[in-house]
Amino acid sequence: MNDHDTLFAQLSTLSASVTLLFGIALLWRRSLGAYIGAFRWQSLVLSAAFALIGYYGHDHELYIVAAVLLALKVLIIPRYLNRLYRRVGGEREAQPYVNIATSLIVAGLLVMLAYAITRPLVMVSKLPTRGGIPLAVGLIFVGLFVIVSRRKALTQIVGFLVLENGIALLAALCTYGIPLIIELGVFLDVLMGFLVMQVIVYHIRDTFESIDVEQLSQLKH
Amino acid sequence: MTPYLLEIGQALLALLLAPGLVGFIRWFKARLQGRRGAIPWQPYYDLRKLFGKEVVMSKNASWLFRFAPYVIFATAVAVTLLVPLVAAPLPFDAVGDLLAVVYLLLLGTFFLALAGLDPGTSFGGMGASREMTVAAIAEPTIALAIFGLAVGAGSTNLGRIVAQTLNHPGAVINPGHLLGFTALFIVMIAETGRLPVDNPSTHLELTMIHEAMILEYSGRYLALIEWAAALKLLIFFSLLSNLFLPWGVATALTPGALGVAAVALMAKLVALAAVVAVMETRIAKLRLFRVPELLGVSFVLALLSVTSSFLLR
Repeated sequence: MNDHDTLFAQLSTLSASVTLLFGIALLWRRSLGAYIGAFRWQSLVLSAAFALIGYYGHDHELYIVAAVLLALKVLIIPRYLNRLYRRVGGEREAQPYVNIATSLIVAGLLVMLAYAITRPLVMVSKLPTRGGIPLAVGLIFVGLFVIVSRRKALTQIVGFLVLENGIALLAALCTYGIPLIIELGVFLDVLMGFLVMQVIVYHIRDTFESIDVEQLSQLKH
Repeated sequence: MTPYLLEIGQALLALLLAPGLVGFIRWFKARLQGRRGAIPWQPYYDLRKLFGKEVVMSKNASWLFRFAPYVIFATAVAVTLLVPLVAAPLPFDAVGDLLAVVYLLLLGTFFLALAGLDPGTSFGGMGASREMTVAAIAEPTIALAIFGLAVGAGSTNLGRIVAQTLNHPGAVINPGHLLGFTALFIVMIAETGRLPVDNPSTHLELTMIHEAMILEYSGRYLALIEWAAALKLLIFFSLLSNLFLPWGVATALTPGALGVAAVALMAKLVALAAVVAVMETRIAKLRLFRVPELLGVSFVLALLSVTSSFLLR
């Protein structure tokens, strides 16, 4: 491996670990505003990772993907999330199903699990970006964990978006980006999914005067 | 002969710089908050004043109360002999490694907590209980965070780790390195009693940890404890800077290289002190019950740091 590849390997692993770092930082926070902030930073690092892989992998389509990602996940979605957050009032993730200290340990274990299950893949891979693959899989697990362990509709949306970030990162690390048209389709899906969820959150809010999804499990209120 | 001179010189340098470091953080923080602040070398005057003062002791205090300040100070000084401040690898690397450093620091904390309990005041007991709560999670995290580096270097000797990182500068942007740095930074804040875990500048009953334990101390005992606390801050700062960004550390024992290393050390200390001062100005203290959660974050990061260094070797 030459110097160029070594640097690429280290930078891609670094960006993957910073992305994961924001995913874990999310679990520590309580205020919904902090969730949105952490997601925004994570998306910024992710789009930098796309640009980086585009530069070293000589794939100029990835620059477009990075730009779209920047516009969508750093500017547009966090903005709508913030508006949603203001509209539903200053609710907090006061009592998640799994408390914060336990969530952190579970997140650590999930990342270790990701290391364990991607080990065969990393060992046969010759890609310079292979070091980041376990971290991306770990991020997907952490996103899923946020969805199942948090009880506010808004934090669950952020969990979904983090999960999506993890999938995008994994795709970029494993294949240097899937074709542009598919990537754009995925982004459109995310945006549509997000808009639908936003509408549902407003409905939950109108019906129950709270965005706690626990309320949905009762027939009457 | 030279190795011993180096070790003694390093310890003396640490002893000399430590109060200045604390003073600099206070001064810079005051400036950031729009106050004039005391001059950065104020802690030296404070120490001289305290050493000159008479010791007042509670009638309930036992020999332990008089003995503890010496242990606390001695453990801090012993650690400065083992931590690579200006040169690596150190001649004393064979004497003690990372585990010795962690447990010497813990020994100091243990005696501080005992001394807090000894006079039987309610504040002392409260402070001791809180300090132990923090230390119980913080100590393993320090060891784990540095283990992340030790796996890469193949040795738990701090000097060996620094020398290894100097030989392979690319390792600095490894995920293991980055996660370990974040973990150790959080632990440093908890262990040295800075915001958001403990507020070093107040004596408010509800929040204090470190100050609650040393309330009963006066005179030269207080001076020793304050000096040891400043040393501990310096030790953590230099662990953070020299383990993770080792540039400037002398690998050859020439006067020129050592001079450069001393200047580089001071520059790194000032930079870290500025970061801590800015952070303390921007954030508020955490509620005590959230502190274990913050330390949980750092423990998980340290665990991941070890995992990734181990699996990506």
